[in-house]
Amino acid sequence: MSVIQRNNVKVTSTGTRTLLFAHGFGCDQNMWRHVAPQFENDFRIVTFDHVGAGGSDLSTYDFQKYATLEGYASDIVEIGQELGIEDGIFVGHSVSAMMGVLASLKAPGMFSKLVLVGPSPRYINDGDYHGGFTQEQVDELLEFLDSNHMGWSQAMAPVIMGNPEQPELSEELTNSFCKTDPEIAKHFARATFTADNRADLDEVTVPSLILQCAEDVIAPVSVGHYLHAKLPESKLVLLKATGHCPNLSHPQETTDAIRSFVGAE
Amino acid sequence: MNSNIGADVDDLVDLFENAPCGYISAAPDGRIMLANRTLASWLGTGSEKIVGRKFIDFLTMPGKIYFETHFAPLVTMQGAFNEVALDMVKADGTRLPVLVNAVARIADGGNVRFIRITIFNATDRRRYEKEILEARAAAERSAAALKDLNATLEEHVATAVQEKIAAESALHQAQKIEALGHLTGGVAHDFNNMLAVVIGGLNMAQRRIARGALEDLPKLLEAALDGANRAATLTQRLLAFSRQQPLSPELVDANKLVSNMAEILASTLGEIIQKETVLAAGLWRTKADANQLENAVLNLAVNARDAMPNGGTLTIETANTHIDDAYAAEHDVAPGQYVMISVTDTGCGMPPDIIEKAIDPFFTTKPVGKGTGLGLSQVFGFAKQSGGHMKIYSEVGVGTTMKIYLPREYGSDNAAQHLRDDTVPRGSLSEVVLLVEDDASVREVHARMLEELGYTVIAVDGPIAALATIEKRPDVVLLFTDVVMAQMNGRQLADEARTRRPGLPVLFTTGYSRNAVVHNGVLDPGVIFLQKPATLGDLARKVRAALDI
Repeated sequence: MSVIQRNNVKVTSTGTRTLLFAHGFGCDQNMWRHVAPQFENDFRIVTFDHVGAGGSDLSTYDFQKYATLEGYASDIVEIGQELGIEDGIFVGHSVSAMMGVLASLKAPGMFSKLVLVGPSPRYINDGDYHGGFTQEQVDELLEFLDSNHMGWSQAMAPVIMGNPEQPELSEELTNSFCKTDPEIAKHFARATFTADNRADLDEVTVPSLILQCAEDVIAPVSVGHYLHAKLPESKLVLLKATGHCPNLSHPQETTDAIRSFVGAE
Repeated sequence: MNSNIGADVDDLVDLFENAPCGYISAAPDGRIMLANRTLASWLGTGSEKIVGRKFIDFLTMPGKIYFETHFAPLVTMQGAFNEVALDMVKADGTRLPVLVNAVARIADGGNVRFIRITIFNATDRRRYEKEILEARAAAERSAAALKDLNATLEEHVATAVQEKIAAESALHQAQKIEALGHLTGGVAHDFNNMLAVVIGGLNMAQRRIARGALEDLPKLLEAALDGANRAATLTQRLLAFSRQQPLSPELVDANKLVSNMAEILASTLGEIIQKETVLAAGLWRTKADANQLENAVLNLAVNARDAMPNGGTLTIETANTHIDDAYAAEHDVAPGQYVMISVTDTGCGMPPDIIEKAIDPFFTTKPVGKGTGLGLSQVFGFAKQSGGHMKIYSEVGVGTTMKIYLPREYGSDNAAQHLRDDTVPRGSLSEVVLLVEDDASVREVHARMLEELGYTVIAVDGPIAALATIEKRPDVVLLFTDVVMAQMNGRQLADEARTRRPGLPVLFTTGYSRNAVVHNGVLDPGVIFLQKPATLGDLARKVRAALDI
């Protein structure tokens, strides 16, 4: 099983420098479909699905490996090695932003710039650190995930299992970019929301761009400021876009912000 | 017309506000522009408190996360999502389970005009789902338990069978021990009585001899002898029940045998029991040990008598019968023609469960000490050993019939006239008998008895001495040997002796015979055998018979 098949890696253009787009918690590489194509003239564009999401090979899903973000980061390094990425630019959304940070530390030289969209090194509040979630809220989330009644499978059940009344609709939804195995989704959520990668930030040497959304319940503005303060040569851009997915809701603003960063070189 | 339009608008507003589902219209950025009264009342608030906020503001934290990461992208990319199960938070903090549909309404230019969110109250549905999930979990647990049970079913069965076998074996063992208890109790009691008579008689005789009062001696000795004879009879019965008694089968006419028993039966039955005999004409001959057959008939007669303490009728009957294949298979007997001898009483009868156990060894309905429980089993053992069968028919309050079946004997019609022989033939001093016996007291008694009969006796304690004597004493005319001895058995000794003295007559004796002299319970042809203990008369007749061949 090659890394390319395992992670459903797509290379859509050629270029001397590589822009690697990583999707976050929820959905798959389709999240970048309005943004990535806009760079095709200037870069080699690479998109992929994390194992467990989208078109990845589910048979390679290893619950132990993917219990932490390290497992995902090592996949990113393997993709980079497979494609011979050097001096590339990593663009990560949501939890993948931190995976990119870890990957850049694992493989120095592979990524010379990091674009972090809606990043958070830790979701749970800790003393003066404001991650946006109390321990109780994350506990509630984890209970929600563990409970078959109130958990992910129920929230997603109509989407995943289909709607017997409207088979044609359920077929479309089942084949949508959001299809996910409930057990894997739970495991991914646990790995994401219990992670704490604040210490790793001190190791980062490459320049980074932080795209911070307005009114993002998952990554509040305070987290953007924290990252900006911790990361050397970092640039914080406060987007007008609201919510957690500016790449979908405000693709142009997102594209422009990224272009100003990568094009400034 | 205007009033009609107004009415239509009122109607539509009413439909919107009071629809059976919640309605929200949200701007592309998610901000709520319109919410109906139904949703407001479900959330326990006013519509004006909903407008201006975002839909995710009313979700629980897990709902916010999933909405932002999964469902909002679905609306953006696919334009809609359907039937997503979420929890909304009411004004009082409690939860409202809902099913949510959302669809993006697109303007002519392709931009999103607004997002219509439809909310169904899923309180009942969520409860059903919970019940179904619990039922499914229970079913899965049951299935797993069943699978587990199936996997180990064979083992369970094997264990259960093993346990049952072990339990039955233990029960069987306990029954055997109980039966042995009955036997030893009965036998010991009977034996003690007999020994009391013997010892008492001999003690008295000793005292009379000591003081020279010899006139009572014959009476005392006769009493002692009687006790000893009864003891001998008891051991005979024990051997019969164990089906190891040596039988001397001969042609028997059962009619004659029964007729000849008239006298002994009359004295056994007493006066209050009337005896009838129904003897079949043309009765076949059978082959059996006549003495034992007599004992068996007597045994049945005694049982019949005991079943009629207040009197009644005892009928002895003979008949030719045929046992068919079906009956034979059921009762472990060969099919064919049989001579049947039955003893019927008009006594108390036996219930089926007693009948079932009646022929079991040691079973008795009599109190301990009154019966050995060997009577019927002795008869049964004799019948079986003789190739026949025994069957009990009984009705409570009516009576009992005991039937002995003995195989028909074809051929010679000259049934030996079976008569008790009470003669005591004597020998002479010129007739030298070599007595071989390893038990000193038995050797002493047999030597005295032979001398009493007039023979010259050389008594030795074993086969080695016996063979040496035969070489030294050509005047030995009879080898009278015990069967069971340490160095070599009586049969081997007889064979050795005959290589030195071909044609030497041999008389075997033992209390308990094994295959050395008895094959299948029947003496080898030509072998003369004396059952221990023997009376002087028995010994005299057997020695004479051996010498006179």
